[in-house]
Amino acid sequence: MNLAFYPGCSLEGMANDYERSITAVFDKLDVKLVEIDDWTCCGATAAHSMSEAMAVLLPAKNLAAAEKMGLDIVSPCANCFNRLTYSRKMILKNIYEVPWKVTGKAKVYDMTRFLAQPDMIQQIKQKVLRPLAGLNLVSYYGCQMVRPPKITGFTDYENPQTLDKIANALGAISLDWSYKATCCGAAIGIGRRDIQFDLSKRLIKKAHQAGAEAIIVSCPLCQNNLDMVQNEKGGLKIPVFYFTELMRLAFEGEKCSIQNFRMHLTDPLPLLRKKGLAD
Amino acid sequence: MEQAIEKTDRGVPVKLSKPRRLIGDRGDHFLKRVEGETGADISACYQCERCTNACPVSAYMDVNPHQVIRYVQLGWREELLRSTTIWVCLSCEMCTTYCPNDVDVAKTINHLRNMAFHSSVVPAEKVLAVFHETFVNELQRFGRVNEFWLMGSLNRHPDVLKEKIKSGALKEELALGWEMFRKGKLKILPHRCSEMKKIREICRK
Repeated sequence: MNLAFYPGCSLEGMANDYERSITAVFDKLDVKLVEIDDWTCCGATAAHSMSEAMAVLLPAKNLAAAEKMGLDIVSPCANCFNRLTYSRKMILKNIYEVPWKVTGKAKVYDMTRFLAQPDMIQQIKQKVLRPLAGLNLVSYYGCQMVRPPKITGFTDYENPQTLDKIANALGAISLDWSYKATCCGAAIGIGRRDIQFDLSKRLIKKAHQAGAEAIIVSCPLCQNNLDMVQNEKGGLKIPVFYFTELMRLAFEGEKCSIQNFRMHLTDPLPLLRKKGLAD
Repeated sequence: MEQAIEKTDRGVPVKLSKPRRLIGDRGDHFLKRVEGETGADISACYQCERCTNACPVSAYMDVNPHQVIRYVQLGWREELLRSTTIWVCLSCEMCTTYCPNDVDVAKTINHLRNMAFHSSVVPAEKVLAVFHETFVNELQRFGRVNEFWLMGSLNRHPDVLKEKIKSGALKEELALGWEMFRKGKLKILPHRCSEMKKIREICRK
């Protein structure tokens, strides 16, 4: 099975560890990711508030490229997924004149939802070499991936399950908490760091209260934001993983190098060593 | 009556260029315009305040989300475009998701931000306003947004630079930037997309 892969701008820069882990994970699965050739920015998080035309037309180039390839798109970034889905919906309504040839027939998947399908979960379970036993996680979805439900198609937008299903398939324990889809405020960090810190620190605190030793996320902005706000002396420290990093750890077993985690600002190695998952 | 409207609910004084009548100057012109441009059914709002209660940042706003909808109904354009609300909004879509009447609150605020951007009103959150502008400029330069270049262009903006030096955020940010560079999180050389002409055309629309 082939899928068109739309990484998005963050995965080139501050989240390039996410991209590497995705490549490693999909190498093991029976799904081939083909990166969309010459993809462009989807406009998140600022362009779509500047004009409606940009919101619809910027992602349209990537939709058109995927259609040309004849594949469905999978996006690892929550923001990109949201923008691509929105654009596809508007293209199907046929309101705007799009400069590229696009009909909107290529479906857009969010990566977690694609991997949480029953047959993919089955496949993940088979590939696990080293189960992440005893690792208590909370999964954090953020806002753009699940909301608004009319666009994203999530029916369980108050208590989404896709990341939890994947975490359980890897052998980890995913805990319940109430802040799965509460915004972390990453988008506002540029101008109002006070708001960003208030929102993200509350998430860190609540994750700790829920008994979590780590947070798994699927959004590059959320990961960087939650990781960054802990980057000061003292305070709670909870490592924040991309879910594919943990998949890679479980799939590769002994062979998974600790170098894969070097980009984290909050060092996850003490936790992994404690659980016997890294040497 | 006029004195009561000079302050919002949180007691934040709003400076108006002229005294304000209760209903906007041009009847429901503004309401019809916003409804038409966003497709949101703003007239359906019955002020249950569910959007404000769901909003994670309503405490930092001077005009709360339910008030934004009311102000649009009343045609109070100037108060809305001057508010911090339109810049503080995270577009997390909580308000839209929980509205019992399907009013697209987030889209309305988004649209007001767009209006403020194209108006002569001085934005309440200068740095955020400049950030939005810089983001679009960067997008037009390479077709993809590179964090290193984006932050570089943003910090070169005189208003932002002044503000950041004053608040001491610049030093902090440079330290963080160095940490990110050390960890390999920054891509220094940007990728340039083909078809930039079409992308620039879209951005000019």
